[in-house]
Amino acid sequence: MLAVLAGMPAARAQDSAPPGSARPVGDGQTLGSPHRGGTLRLAASSSGGTLDPQINYTSEYAQLFTVLYDGLLNFRKADDRTSDDVVADLAEAVPQPEDGGRTWRFTLRQGVRFSTGQEVTVADVAASIRRLFRVGSPTAGSFYGAIVGADLCLRDPAHCTLAGGLEVDPATREVVFHLKQPDAEFPQKLAFPHASILPANMPDHDLGNVPAPTTGPYRFVSYDPDRGAVLERNPFFHVWSAEAQPDGYVDHIHYDFGLPDEAAVTAVENGQYDWMFDMKPLDRLGELGARHTRQVHIRALYGIYYVPMNVNLPPFNNRLARQAVNRALDRRAMTILYGGSAVAGPLCTMVPPGIPGALDECAYTKGADLDHPAPSWQEPDLEGARRLVAASGTAGQKVTVVVQNTNVEMSMGVWLRNMLQAIGYDASVKPLAHAVQLGYIQNTSNHVQISVTDWFADYPSASNFLDDLFGCENFHPGTDNSINIAGYCDKEAQAAVDAAKQETDPARAAQLWTQAGRIIARDSPAAPAIRINYIDLVSSRLGNYFYSDLYHMIFSQVWVQ
Amino acid sequence: MVMSVLRRLGQTLFVLFGISVLVFLVFFATPGADPTARIAGRNASPETMARVRVEYGFDRPLPVQYARMMEKLFVTRDLTSYVNRGQKVVPEILEAAPVTVSLVSGAALIWVVLSVAMGVTAAALRGGWVDRGLMMLGLVGISIPVFWLGQVVNLVTQSRYHDSWLFSWVPGLGYVPLTEDPLGWFRALALPWLTLAVLFVGIYSRVLRADLVAVQSEDFMRTARAKGLSPMRVLLVHGLRTSMITFVSLFGLDFAQLVGGGALLTEVVFGLQGVGRLTYQALSNLDLPLIMATVMYSAVFVVIANAVVDMLYLFLDPRVRDGR
Repeated sequence: MLAVLAGMPAARAQDSAPPGSARPVGDGQTLGSPHRGGTLRLAASSSGGTLDPQINYTSEYAQLFTVLYDGLLNFRKADDRTSDDVVADLAEAVPQPEDGGRTWRFTLRQGVRFSTGQEVTVADVAASIRRLFRVGSPTAGSFYGAIVGADLCLRDPAHCTLAGGLEVDPATREVVFHLKQPDAEFPQKLAFPHASILPANMPDHDLGNVPAPTTGPYRFVSYDPDRGAVLERNPFFHVWSAEAQPDGYVDHIHYDFGLPDEAAVTAVENGQYDWMFDMKPLDRLGELGARHTRQVHIRALYGIYYVPMNVNLPPFNNRLARQAVNRALDRRAMTILYGGSAVAGPLCTMVPPGIPGALDECAYTKGADLDHPAPSWQEPDLEGARRLVAASGTAGQKVTVVVQNTNVEMSMGVWLRNMLQAIGYDASVKPLAHAVQLGYIQNTSNHVQISVTDWFADYPSASNFLDDLFGCENFHPGTDNSINIAGYCDKEAQAAVDAAKQETDPARAAQLWTQAGRIIARDSPAAPAIRINYIDLVSSRLGNYFYSDLYHMIFSQVWVQ
Repeated sequence: MVMSVLRRLGQTLFVLFGISVLVFLVFFATPGADPTARIAGRNASPETMARVRVEYGFDRPLPVQYARMMEKLFVTRDLTSYVNRGQKVVPEILEAAPVTVSLVSGAALIWVVLSVAMGVTAAALRGGWVDRGLMMLGLVGISIPVFWLGQVVNLVTQSRYHDSWLFSWVPGLGYVPLTEDPLGWFRALALPWLTLAVLFVGIYSRVLRADLVAVQSEDFMRTARAKGLSPMRVLLVHGLRTSMITFVSLFGLDFAQLVGGGALLTEVVFGLQGVGRLTYQALSNLDLPLIMATVMYSAVFVVIANAVVDMLYLFLDPRVRDGR
């Protein structure tokens, strides 16, 4: 651990460019650049599942899809915080909400072609949005369920028309969405890869290993989930929006699957690969920080570790018991267990800093309380926690912490057990295989009291943390798919969340999210632990390292010559 | 003969049935392993979940699901993965098999040659320091876990001394098909072969030495010596042949088990996309169809190898032949 702590700050210093100092993508053209050409070689330990951009929900492929597919909207390809912003992609402009956020009107750009040569039409747009329901996209309900007619589509996908919810006019190239209730985040949802526009003739089932025609600067040459993907330039691509989809520098992208993380680190160090997808193993961080500083990039990530507590099971059905855990949790220890202050930091509220509506206060630190919060987390308050446990009358109860059996989470789990014992519980740790743990802790039938898990934003909004993790609609007892792990469903909190989701004025929405965040912090259905950074390792020949908050390194913007 | 083949076939089917039922039941009895939630995706709506359940047949009773899976695996052979949807697992395994066969055959050649040489030398020089030294070496080989050895080999040849004259020939990890580039194939596999062989060299040389020593006092050996044959000929022709019985039966099982996916750790550590790595991958993302297919594949190999070993006995051991 010492090596980790000693090694990383150098790399961090190298990378901590002040916000706003990023390179612009300019006109998005790479033709004529001396850096244009060559092959970018990427490695991952395994493939990321289906190639269907409307179904795949992994960050591994979202990163790939962002240089392949386009939606009406997209997140800006920028090397700074502005990459959180939604910009027009296949649509001519980002629409202003009409009808209080119930109607969203787009005009489709002219002259954009698929990699087959076919032009993108409004019929393709309509078919792609309907296809979300027809193929059962994981976000069909949660992201696009507000479209009028979506209920019918969810119930009977084969006959999905979205009549009344989606209108297109081939003459004016207009696409209009009508929503049942206002949704301020509809643009972000349309910018998400699931809303990529594919040709209208795509089949109504998961494409599996068959790639769909692309609109971005690259297209697939071949794909084998056991070996890898080969991408080449899309000959029909031209730059229509430099900030949404700039042209790429490299001519080819080879993405190989099968190299385990340790071996991938070595291969990138040796220049056999230019970049690796997997998490960098903890035992290699010291070496990377010390010997390959210039090849390491550490950037902010909208990702957190947190400790959900089941509000429907003793002892955590008692609010005081939950608050006690929140108060006693040593976020500094958690940071060190994750790899040190360069790669993580203490987190006191469920929405990580940098997202509008994140609370910049901490009630669960020594010397602070809900009415007198401190500006940030300082140190754990074991005394206060013991008092709360005593007041709750739950002292001495049996508590089992369920964690993944990975190095980091096991150590967090053991630390948490010791902490629970210190504040008066009879605690133990139950490690589970990493493939099983997330499903296990979600299912109420397994009676999990407390666990450790992580969560990443799909797009930068407080809703991704407060609504996804604590919304009543995301609590489904008895299934492995109930991401509201705490089982928290509170009228007051839900009303605050609903109001915030519908508010189309960003400043007002941020204020409403803050209110919702305070209610949830008070009820403490989970104890936020740490926010984490993204550690990237690239080859020494890779230039113009370019990172966006949501999709990480942008493959089209880096060069290898 | 026909009866014994039929009996063998019946046993095979029974073993495969038993293993497949076990794998199937263990999978569905594991909490947190529900394939519906995985396929539908994070935070999928209940409607999507219900749809996946119907589409994949998870709403049917377990025996029906089992029968359908077996039908898809053995009859129509279009069983597809839950993770890489559309990926047919049977061709997937057939494509991975050459990698595993390349790895295991090369390693087997090394371990057979080395262990016979070590075992015979140790037996011939029994009691001396060469004998003790070799057997000690064998014990060390047995004691080193293959995944650790593989990582250390990688550390030395890929990382720390990669640029030195000694290891600059070592290519990056991964497999190169024999048909594409025979030299590349050899270079990519040389270290994995040696790594995988170390354990078996240790076991086999010790087993062979023990058998050779035990056989020295047998009547037929005394006869051979009495006939005036040279000690070398007695040891190699008369002694070694009889002592190879244990060696061969062990070899048959180990070889089959490795070709069937048992070289999992070696394949994973060296990034070789063989059947073992497929098994590892299937287990780490709970891909039931692939788990089932790799387990069945492995079981078939072990059962076939058993049969082959039994046949080989007939040639090696006259007592077995005459007893029939």
